[in-house]
Amino acid sequence: MNQLAQKIAPLSAPAVDLVVEIQQVLYREARLLDAERYDEWVEMLAPDLHYFMPNMETRYRADKSNIIADLKRAAYFNDNREDMLKRLDRLKTGTAWSEDPATRFTHLIGNVEVELTETESEYRVYSAFLLCRGRNESDEDIQVGKRKDLWRRTPDGLKLVQRTIHLNQNTLLSKNLNAFL
Amino acid sequence: MKMERIGPPRDYNSLMNLEEGWVSRDVFFDPAIYEAEMRQIFARVWLFVAHESQVPKPGDFVTTYMGEDGVIVARQKDMSVNVFLNSCPHRGNKVCHADGGNARRFVCNYHGWAFDTAGKLMGMNEERCYDPGDIDKSEWGMKSVAKVATFKGLIFATFDPTAPSLEDYLGDYRWYLDCMLDSDDGGSELIGGTMKFVIPMNWKMAAENFIGDAYHAAWSHDSGAKAMTGGMAFPELDLHNTFHASANGHGHEFGMDGFGDIMLLGRPKVTEYFMQVLKPRIEARLGKLRSTIFGSIASATVFPNVSYLPGISTFRTWLPKGPDKTEVRTWTIVNRNMPDEIKDELTKGVMQTFGPSGTFEMDDGENWENSCSTNKGFVTRQGRLHYRCGISRKDDHPELPGIIYRGQFGDSNQRAFHRRWLDLMTAESWNDVPDRQGNRLKGRETRDLHNGLRSL
Ligand code: FES
Ligand SMILES: [Fe+2]
Repeated sequence: MNQLAQKIAPLSAPAVDLVVEIQQVLYREARLLDAERYDEWVEMLAPDLHYFMPNMETRYRADKSNIIADLKRAAYFNDNREDMLKRLDRLKTGTAWSEDPATRFTHLIGNVEVELTETESEYRVYSAFLLCRGRNESDEDIQVGKRKDLWRRTPDGLKLVQRTIHLNQNTLLSKNLNAFL
Repeated sequence: MKMERIGPPRDYNSLMNLEEGWVSRDVFFDPAIYEAEMRQIFARVWLFVAHESQVPKPGDFVTTYMGEDGVIVARQKDMSVNVFLNSCPHRGNKVCHADGGNARRFVCNYHGWAFDTAGKLMGMNEERCYDPGDIDKSEWGMKSVAKVATFKGLIFATFDPTAPSLEDYLGDYRWYLDCMLDSDDGGSELIGGTMKFVIPMNWKMAAENFIGDAYHAAWSHDSGAKAMTGGMAFPELDLHNTFHASANGHGHEFGMDGFGDIMLLGRPKVTEYFMQVLKPRIEARLGKLRSTIFGSIASATVFPNVSYLPGISTFRTWLPKGPDKTEVRTWTIVNRNMPDEIKDELTKGVMQTFGPSGTFEMDDGENWENSCSTNKGFVTRQGRLHYRCGISRKDDHPELPGIIYRGQFGDSNQRAFHRRWLDLMTAESWNDVPDRQGNRLKGRETRDLHNGLRSL
């Protein structure tokens, strides 16, 4: 079941300009991540960021425990901005051997949908992603999933406030997840 | 368990010489060796299947694997735990498709055979099609393992009715295991659910890394350590007051610095809790020696495929999925009595270091995969791997149980791991499996042995 798609009545339809603007922001973000331009990416993150990618677990439909939404459980990411910076510090040490040679990332972003919220300057944004990682001689890993974001308009541009990421894979079929989504 | 041999017998002794200190690369590659491991090791030894905290209430279950055999681990009404093959005895279909949950019964999707939470066949769809005498339901349940036993919260199972008791199997390693499982009176629990990811490697590569390879940490994990501690590197190399300890193929390598692993989490609240609250508790409960060991730079493996980092609090099992594929299942292990805030901090700390996107884990998978994949080369795999580091540093320590070597950077525990592997690969029965300094503490609760061997 797609829990990110739970129904909330949208207030009113967003203007086309806004949809295009947000799409462009998501594409730009994807391009920065592809290029490992993390310092610029971090500039897009709000100070009160919550970046959450829960561990997926397979349960029967009758199981109503909704563990995927539980912030206390294990996760790939359950980070605030400071936590994210710490992870990025690893890449700056110059000794992250497994990142050299660099990974070739492509983040494909689609199914972008924008909703207005009760706060005028904040937008709910849904999207789907396909992450393809190529590494070294012949490694290829593909992860697909969906995201639910909250973006905020600030004098410095749109900032990501919340992101929840759901992966389709239950068992991550890769040796690691050396990527942000 | 009597097992038929498949193919010509192989001289496993020729695959390593642990006195000289080398191991054949074939051990990490050969599909025939892998198949034999399933028979000689995974079908015979005690394997970790769950922690009691994963199945607290009647009907609670998780699914996992023993070797490549899928099993259901289920809590019964009488609070005992049953472990049985997750395969329907009718046509073999996988019965339970969830990672866990709570069930009153398990029903097979194919023809509707229904089993109780102990795996017993209760009935089936259109039962009338079976005439009297066609089926004795008491004989056609999902097949149970031979024995289930727990050690301080960890549930183990074995397919072999002739396996020694779990306590004898763990032997003197219990003294080290207790540093983590018995560090306060509430016992331990696994929290946060099960994270699962797949590394294209032989399962032993990771198990032997955790049993003794402190050496790699200083190089592989330089970036992770600096990121988590704000620039601190690993402590200076100490070959005197750091150790490898093993018993019956289970092993723990550790320093005596007292806080190195704790610092790597980079969570000040956890550091404070461990140093101010937990360590004094361990000292009172298990003695000064183990309170010093706990939290030091360390890693450990329970033979064959459970590993953990005391202090950092990641706990994992390496599930074999073929000679070149291993599924890693990881949890955060905590004490039940820890405040919720500390449990949350630990969950996050483990995620950021040893989750699949963790600052340490990411470097390991890459190295382990490529340490195995090179052996695809026919000529490459005729070679040997070097296991001689620290071979002369054996120490008759007056306090530490097990086989002790000085110097945390070394191959001693790894040699002990492969020695146990060879013991099992060549043993026809458990009577042929030698004791590896495993049972001097036999019958004693290790809690009472504050000074280890000296307390005997
Ligand atoms: S295979 Fe399970 S009911 Fe037939
Ligand atoms: Fe490592």
